[in-house]
Amino acid sequence: MKTFFKALGNLVKKPVTTKYPFEPTFKPDDYRGLIGFEESLCIWCRRCEAVCPPGAIVFSQDMEGKQTYHYNRAVCIYCGECVRACPKEGALFQTAEPAPCALKEENINNAWNKLYPEAIESRELYAAEKKRKAAEKAAADKAAAAAKKESEDNSGATA
Amino acid sequence: MGKQYEIPVGAQHIALLEPLHFKFTTENEKIINTDANVYYVHRGIELACCSKFKFRQVSFVVGRVCGLCSISHTTAYSQVAEKLLKIEIPRRAKYLRMLIIELDRIHSHLLCLSHVAENSGFEALFMKTMQYREFSMELLEAVCGNRIQYDFSIVGGVSRDLKPQVADSIISRLKTFMPQLDELMDIYKHNWTLSLKNKGVGAITKQQAMELNLVGPFARAAGLAVDVRNETEDLLPWKEVGFEMVTETAGDVYSRNMIRLRELYVSIRIVNNIINGLPEGDLITETKAFPEGEATVRLEAPRGELFYYAKGNKTQVLERLKIKAPTFSNVAGMVKGFEGNEYGSAPAIIASYDPCLSCTAR
Ligand code: SF4
Ligand code: SF4
Repeated sequence: MKTFFKALGNLVKKPVTTKYPFEPTFKPDDYRGLIGFEESLCIWCRRCEAVCPPGAIVFSQDMEGKQTYHYNRAVCIYCGECVRACPKEGALFQTAEPAPCALKEENINNAWNKLYPEAIESRELYAAEKKRKAAEKAAADKAAAAAKKESEDNSGATA
Repeated sequence: MGKQYEIPVGAQHIALLEPLHFKFTTENEKIINTDANVYYVHRGIELACCSKFKFRQVSFVVGRVCGLCSISHTTAYSQVAEKLLKIEIPRRAKYLRMLIIELDRIHSHLLCLSHVAENSGFEALFMKTMQYREFSMELLEAVCGNRIQYDFSIVGGVSRDLKPQVADSIISRLKTFMPQLDELMDIYKHNWTLSLKNKGVGAITKQQAMELNLVGPFARAAGLAVDVRNETEDLLPWKEVGFEMVTETAGDVYSRNMIRLRELYVSIRIVNNIINGLPEGDLITETKAFPEGEATVRLEAPRGELFYYAKGNKTQVLERLKIKAPTFSNVAGMVKGFEGNEYGSAPAIIASYDPCLSCTAR
């Protein structure tokens, strides 16, 4: 009987569910949302890339050595490890904003799967180039030093 | 002897919450034999943890083993990694870990109870339980920043602090939940229709529970007092925050419901104690060491004892990680529990086991 009256009462009660998406659902202020990046503060140490569990951050590098930050919100698990690892306060930060849905036009994952190895490769290319330049420079230095020594020896011999 | 029929249930079935497969041999609607297959969702997580991911990243990977007891997995892994690193974590971090584990237990137990009600044919109670469960999800979201994957325990401590206003809201919302829990207790205990489907159904004796090595609420409902929180004190100080063992004797679906409901009271008390006695201090112990040696850890997840083994070789990547989830220990008991029951009771019995197959198959 008690249940019966309760059931009748429930007919006139407000629903307990929220009318999402017309009404917002509960979201705490420090919700773990998108990762923000402030390029002017970054010191390009790439620590965030090293700690990120799913690999949602990657840096590419052009031949002048300038690095570019790439971030994929669809791969990110919003764990905040990158923010904790970043040595420069404010360069990386976690916002309370949930990630927007990815649209087909964005081609988010396929583009990322292409970009990721390319970014790594660009860095390797730069490193190889740097190494080559350094080796060239070292060779040139060595040649110059040898030439200098030779001329010194020669001058010593003539003296 | 009547004619025997074999009835397959699963791996996908309307009454199943998880991908598992049972093959029942029935005779006159009575189950006389059961076969179980649980490995449908193997994802190779253990191998990934020992090859692709660095040991600090693994705590986020194992969190994805299971959506329901994510915090138990991350905490157990963090503890085993801390053993390998030979570090002691701050007391505040321990308390915060226990807080999340207990909040997680509240939502997990309520989920299981609601599914038992649903599978017993009591849809309205399912909805009511789910309605009351929502507060625990919101609290977890407020503390951890996410509803399901908490990513709260990390190697060395915890990743976020508990804000004072969040702590206040936990206390106040637990207060509003108390009368609701009393109401649920009353329904699950005294409702006559539910008792027809639950009392004396799927029973396991204490002797069987002991022989089959059951763990968690499943074993405690049969009267076997096993709870890791009662046995280990070194990693998380459970007794300090008011843990108390709960056991029942009948071992049927009804007493499994009772165990879960009574454990909710214990969990609520623990959460209140933790918030009132939260020690000050750091959240994390920093170290530059690498994991070395072997270690094991046991932790009481909502479904029972969770076991982690890890072996490190002084590099960034672990040599071996082994996860044994509570449901895996319970499979033998699950098969036994069906014996002699009506086939129509099987859904309620399955739900009352609270199986978590993605933990089991990893
Ligand atoms: S929040 Fe976690 S997953 Fe996302 S970019 Fe940072 S480290 Fe990677
Ligand atoms: S860790 Fe911080 S400073 Fe270093 S590369 Fe990443 S964003 Fe830049």
